[in-house]
Amino acid sequence: MSSSADNELVARAVSGQDTAAFGELVRRHQSHVRNFLRKLAGDYALADDLAQDCFMHAWDKLQTYSGRGSFIGWLLKVAYTTFLQSKRKSKRYAEILESAGQVADQEGRSSVQPVDEIADLDKYLAVLTTEERAIMVMSYACGLSHREIGDATDMPVGTVKSVIFRGKEKIRNSFEIKDHQHG
Amino acid sequence: MKSKIINMAEKSKDAEDRLLELLFDSEPVADDGFSVRVVRKISRRLWLRRLTLPIAAVIGGAIAFKPLAGLVAALSNLSSLIPEAAINSAASSVPQLQTIVLGAVLLAVGLVGMRMIEE
Repeated sequence: MSSSADNELVARAVSGQDTAAFGELVRRHQSHVRNFLRKLAGDYALADDLAQDCFMHAWDKLQTYSGRGSFIGWLLKVAYTTFLQSKRKSKRYAEILESAGQVADQEGRSSVQPVDEIADLDKYLAVLTTEERAIMVMSYACGLSHREIGDATDMPVGTVKSVIFRGKEKIRNSFEIKDHQHG
Repeated sequence: MKSKIINMAEKSKDAEDRLLELLFDSEPVADDGFSVRVVRKISRRLWLRRLTLPIAAVIGGAIAFKPLAGLVAALSNLSSLIPEAAINSAASSVPQLQTIVLGAVLLAVGLVGMRMIEE
């Protein structure tokens, strides 16, 4: 996936409000964005809804993409912001429901995910904070450089490195805990 | 000796990173009409945005039409009461063609400016 082709498509989409060019960008990157959000949200249906919102936001903000970093890095920044906003909103929503005494209802509505799709990765991701999870997924699943992750999360490169180090340590420890439990 | 140790450390670091990459690796998600849905949603929103201003103008015009017509009727009734001298002096203060053109240009610039701000 060449970044010059991405930049060309972005230019076409911005200058002529070309939805076909943007559609091509969506086709090229939807897999990365949806995988990123699936790992972050842990719920496929929610992740796909968020991915759709992410691309809508990306369309609105497309003129702010300067073309300096990779387009997928910029897109994952939009995806991460969309995820955080949705998390904040759902937290507020849960608080309102709780105060109205409807928590039981909400639990009944939680999305159903096939048992075989709950992989080991989800268990390991569960030990990480949202921030650590996002950065680890950007690094190991999406192959972003530390600088690109820094741009996407508004963090200095040094902080990104230390978050990755901490995340690795947590995963390593959870491996050890598992080994002890089974051995 | 030292370089050997460093190389071993790098190798073990690489192995751990490779393991994590394998752990985080997942099958590419099939598009399954996802991009088409996104583009359709964007196109719909673009159309809505394009239609908003004309629709608002038509609705505003429709709402303003009745009181405006009443006002014009009242003014025409009033004109019969006004002495001819006063009408002549008022006619001289009616805006000339240049003023009308300037007004139209300003209106057009204002509309274009509004559109740019909106976008």
